[in-house]
Amino acid sequence: MKKIIAVVRREFVERVRTKAFVISTVMLPVFIVLMAVLPGLMMSGTDHTTRVAVVDASSSGLGQPVSQALQGEKLGDKPGAKARYEVQVFPATGQDLVAVRDGLIAKTGFSRDTHADRWDGVLVLTDHTLASGKLAYYGGNVGAVQSMRTLQRAVSQALAGVRLGKSGVDPALVRQAMAPADMQTTKVSDGKLTGQSGTESFFIAYFMGFILYISILVYGQQTMTSVIEEKTSRIMEVLTSSLTPFQMLLGKVLGVGLAGLTQMAIWGGSVFLISSQRMHLAGMLGMSAEAIQRFPIPSMAPGLLVVFLLYFILGFLLYGALYAAIGAMCNTIQETQQYAIFVTVFIMVGFFAVFSLIKDPTGNLGTTMSFIPFFAPFTMPVRWSLSSVPPLQLAMSLALMVIALLACVWLAARIYRTGILMYGKKPSWRELWRWIRA
Amino acid sequence: MSAASVSVESVTKRFSGHTAVNQLSMEVASGGIFGLLGPNGAGKSTTIRLIMGILQPDQGKVVLFGSDHGSRKLSQRIGYLPEERGLYKKMKVLDHLIFLGETKGIGRADARRRAQDWLERLGVSEWALKKVEDLSKGMQQKVQFAGALLHEPELVILDEPFSGLDPVNAQVMKDIVVAIAAEGRTVLFSTHVMEQAERMCDRIAIIARGETVVSGTLAQVKEDFGGRHVALGFTHDKQRAERILADRSVVARVDDYGVAAELQMAEGADPEQLLAALVREGVGLRRFEVVEPSLHAIFIAKVGAEAATAHAGEAA
Repeated sequence: MKKIIAVVRREFVERVRTKAFVISTVMLPVFIVLMAVLPGLMMSGTDHTTRVAVVDASSSGLGQPVSQALQGEKLGDKPGAKARYEVQVFPATGQDLVAVRDGLIAKTGFSRDTHADRWDGVLVLTDHTLASGKLAYYGGNVGAVQSMRTLQRAVSQALAGVRLGKSGVDPALVRQAMAPADMQTTKVSDGKLTGQSGTESFFIAYFMGFILYISILVYGQQTMTSVIEEKTSRIMEVLTSSLTPFQMLLGKVLGVGLAGLTQMAIWGGSVFLISSQRMHLAGMLGMSAEAIQRFPIPSMAPGLLVVFLLYFILGFLLYGALYAAIGAMCNTIQETQQYAIFVTVFIMVGFFAVFSLIKDPTGNLGTTMSFIPFFAPFTMPVRWSLSSVPPLQLAMSLALMVIALLACVWLAARIYRTGILMYGKKPSWRELWRWIRA
Repeated sequence: MSAASVSVESVTKRFSGHTAVNQLSMEVASGGIFGLLGPNGAGKSTTIRLIMGILQPDQGKVVLFGSDHGSRKLSQRIGYLPEERGLYKKMKVLDHLIFLGETKGIGRADARRRAQDWLERLGVSEWALKKVEDLSKGMQQKVQFAGALLHEPELVILDEPFSGLDPVNAQVMKDIVVAIAAEGRTVLFSTHVMEQAERMCDRIAIIARGETVVSGTLAQVKEDFGGRHVALGFTHDKQRAERILADRSVVARVDDYGVAAELQMAEGADPEQLLAALVREGVGLRRFEVVEPSLHAIFIAKVGAEAATAHAGEAA
């Protein structure tokens, strides 16, 4: 036991110390944050007040209700939020419309710092506007899809109000009638509320599958590489004289796995930190609170977390043992590929099963796959998160997993015992069978 | 004397196509230095791997300290330096030694202290925090040597410990090996350098083609080999000696080194006759000495010309 710990510690410490580990640990969260934040930043409206010049060339004084509607818009839902627009109405007639408009456009689209009296955009209302709903907007921010949609919605509401008012409808009634619908989605499975929103449960299921997929591929391959390294550096001979193949194999798989879990923990921790601080961060990054809320960073229910970690660890060890055995059979990384492909296929099938499960969590396919040890680590946590799994099924799936794990470690240790000292040509399938039986 | 440290009992090991070790038996008593000698490909490393339990014999068995539990159970009592040197290249020297100590069951703090002592003793303590890959080959070998001895094993098995070392480092290692034996511990080492074995070993076994050729104490081996041997050193006119040396009624065997030669006298021939004949011919002699047969001579005689050629090729 003490010796296994020594092997685990060595594997772990040497791995965590490498530059590659540090870089990948830091870079992935940065990458994820960028992936989550950048589209938000690009698509969101602004957090600062937009200065809009309204050129009113209508005979009915359309500028007044429109500017009122715009001034009523706030940045965010909180009371005391800043006004979204700062509006000034410039009356114009049919003749000087072009002159007034062009005069304002000449002061539009400059940066805030250099021109204090610059405009962000010019909104032109004409007599046509009320009838056909057509109006023109000239601005530096026309590419900001979200901003344009917000502006258009505000103007539409103002126009609708004016039209209804003209028909004699009470303005208060209009405001009430125009209140937007706000739909919240909640996942129901087997007649029970899961307490997650639809986006969240999808996100969690996808996230779990993805993390497992990536980490098994990356760390499984690392286990394999490290066995090959020990063979080529010929340290194996010293180790075999003091350690049993089982100690070496288990120590290696656990050590590499622990390094992987550490990385996951760092990532998980940073996701937790970011999600709990996201409002604060949003402020720092200059994003509107509304925009960041559109990217949910879901929290995992404790039960799900336990199930996920259980399967994660079991799956990781299972595949780790397989990869280590492949490493023991081969002499170079190139050689490993033809064996590793079988393992990779298992992982891929497991991962893609997640997608079909997301569509149909209670279907036969998902149920069957969650009992097959090689796929269960992917499918069972997803089933658990998307539907309610009978405890007996969970227990059976876990039991099968443990049995398969023991079988795999045993098998891998048999191959390991002979393979780690085999230099030269790689074994045929028949020889491999002999190693296992020996 | 207690039970033998190592006892190999008619062990056979076959690899696909050839028999590496054939019905080999040998016994290494505890205490002293045992030399396992043989030409390349004789089965020295295979024998050592069988003793270490890295390979399993096809027939026969290996008994260590009177128990046949195998070396892994007894690994705390055994230190091993394999022929193929190998260390984790990316690890720091000190960390590596601590790890090797731990695999032998020493506690971490203790292993650290011992590793530092050894690095100091081998004169590489300033490299303790460097990575293994930054060290020269000779230094790596010293580090691995220290790793094999860290847990103060009672049996030390060294496969070609001096190969690839410069004379200064070889001397350091030799002193350590001798010191271990002086403490009453047992050293088994393999080599194909006879001069080294002759100077260090109490007991030897010469193996060739997987079989024991001779074994016993060094004195016993020499006595059994028998015959009278003469060491010659020439100064000039060596060619005049050629006829005499070719006379098989006087000289049974010649090992010619050019300016020196080692002769085995023929049965019934007298070394004094030989000296008289050489002086008569006017051969310039620097040295004429009746000696014990050298291990080298025994080796060549026993193992044969074929192996000797292979040996010479290796040495070059």
